[in-house]
Amino acid sequence: MAMSRAQICEKVRGTLVDALGVDEEEVTEDATLMGDLGAESIDFLDIVFRLEKAFGIKIPREELFPAENLLNNADYVNNGKLTAQGLARLKSQMPHVDFADFEQDPDLNKIPDLFRVKSIVKYIEGKVSAA
Amino acid sequence: MRYILLDRVVELTPGERIVAEKALSLAEEYLADHFPTFPVLPGVLMLEGLVQAAAMLVRVTNGFRQSIVQLAEVRNVKYKSFVKPGRILRLEVTAKSLEEAVSSFVGTGGVDGQAAVEARFTLRHYNLAERNPAWAATDAEIVEAMRRRARLVGACQG
Amino acid sequence: MKGGRESTGRMRWIWIDRFEEFESGRRAVAIKNVSLTEEYLHDHFPGYPVMPPALLIEAMAQTGGILVGEARNFREKVILAKITQAVFYQEARPGDQLRLEAVLENLTDEAATIHGTIRCGAQHVADIKLMFSHIDKNRSGVEFPEENFVFDNGSFLSLLRAYRLGGDRTAGRSEARGG
Repeated sequence: MAMSRAQICEKVRGTLVDALGVDEEEVTEDATLMGDLGAESIDFLDIVFRLEKAFGIKIPREELFPAENLLNNADYVNNGKLTAQGLARLKSQMPHVDFADFEQDPDLNKIPDLFRVKSIVKYIEGKVSAA
Repeated sequence: MRYILLDRVVELTPGERIVAEKALSLAEEYLADHFPTFPVLPGVLMLEGLVQAAAMLVRVTNGFRQSIVQLAEVRNVKYKSFVKPGRILRLEVTAKSLEEAVSSFVGTGGVDGQAAVEARFTLRHYNLAERNPAWAATDAEIVEAMRRRARLVGACQG
Repeated sequence: MKGGRESTGRMRWIWIDRFEEFESGRRAVAIKNVSLTEEYLHDHFPGYPVMPPALLIEAMAQTGGILVGEARNFREKVILAKITQAVFYQEARPGDQLRLEAVLENLTDEAATIHGTIRCGAQHVADIKLMFSHIDKNRSGVEFPEENFVFDNGSFLSLLRAYRLGGDRTAGRSEARGG
């Protein structure tokens, strides 16, 4: 079943509206999940369940959202910033995320900003075309 | 249990916002079941605290014109930490809209600055007499009880 | 002070009366009767008793929580983490027999979701979608006891036991697994 990007985007937005109780207008492509839409740990699980059901795919949680074990690992994090190793690890786990800006200053506090609606859309596109 | 989840109103701006407190005491009987070895305020009662605060804001804003003010819909209620006996749950509710028959809110509850609950919800308000004029006396009874409760918790003077 | 105290006429925090159906790991149907002897009705509202929507949510949370807990043999501490959505269509009044159906939608090590429907006869009373957290696997910095304070109480397990010993039941785990 081939889906256009627009169709995927609409379905992803619908999923986020249901999971986060936000209004459709708030779910812009650039909206950050945690900052703009108020998503937290429990919401990430909810979002993963719903996306799996909406698209008929399996989604390992760490592929879509940051794994706590990476963020708590001394090899990957130093002084509140990701090390080169940590950055490489994160990038390999989440190829659908745009790290260009983050790389300039890999501050842990900026990680939430990485997760935007458009990165989920890109992730789903990748999964759906591979299926 | 007495179904009153507000003990004190701290701030009230008609049509806009209410801040209230619910004090949790080990004397509250249901805590013996929730849970025997770990008494904590049930999540739905945190939500009810927010709902009753919002309802109080509706009643005062609308001059107690409606007797029944009730939860119609709830979205994305999240529980973040436990509320233990001896603690005060501070409830902050902001109205997104507040009309005669419906209202919608965003609310948060916390203990000593630590978030415990957040919720988005809508209420519906009406009088029983709208369904059957014979019920007007019951409407008056409910309104009188709610005015009394408003005075008890400091939501209004009269 | 607390722990293991038998009911002595004090108010209980049990919001369902019995199970009518229980399909392990899939769905459960519980019954809740609304009775004027329940004290909260006299505050909500004086002269016009209605079961508060928040307590309808709790009844569904208990139905769903037992379904989720039983699916892992009550090893996990199952806590209500999120009410994704709840919509209330009809009021629940004294004398009503409410039928609460919980369907398990997702179950992982960290969490579970259920979709619940409450009916009274042919009337649709409420739709409730809940998420539970297995808090041992999902800490997020909150402190709680080691032991399973959720299910150690025994009241929830008694409801399930009563269902399994009773006459009217559909498919479920065999008695050998225990309740």
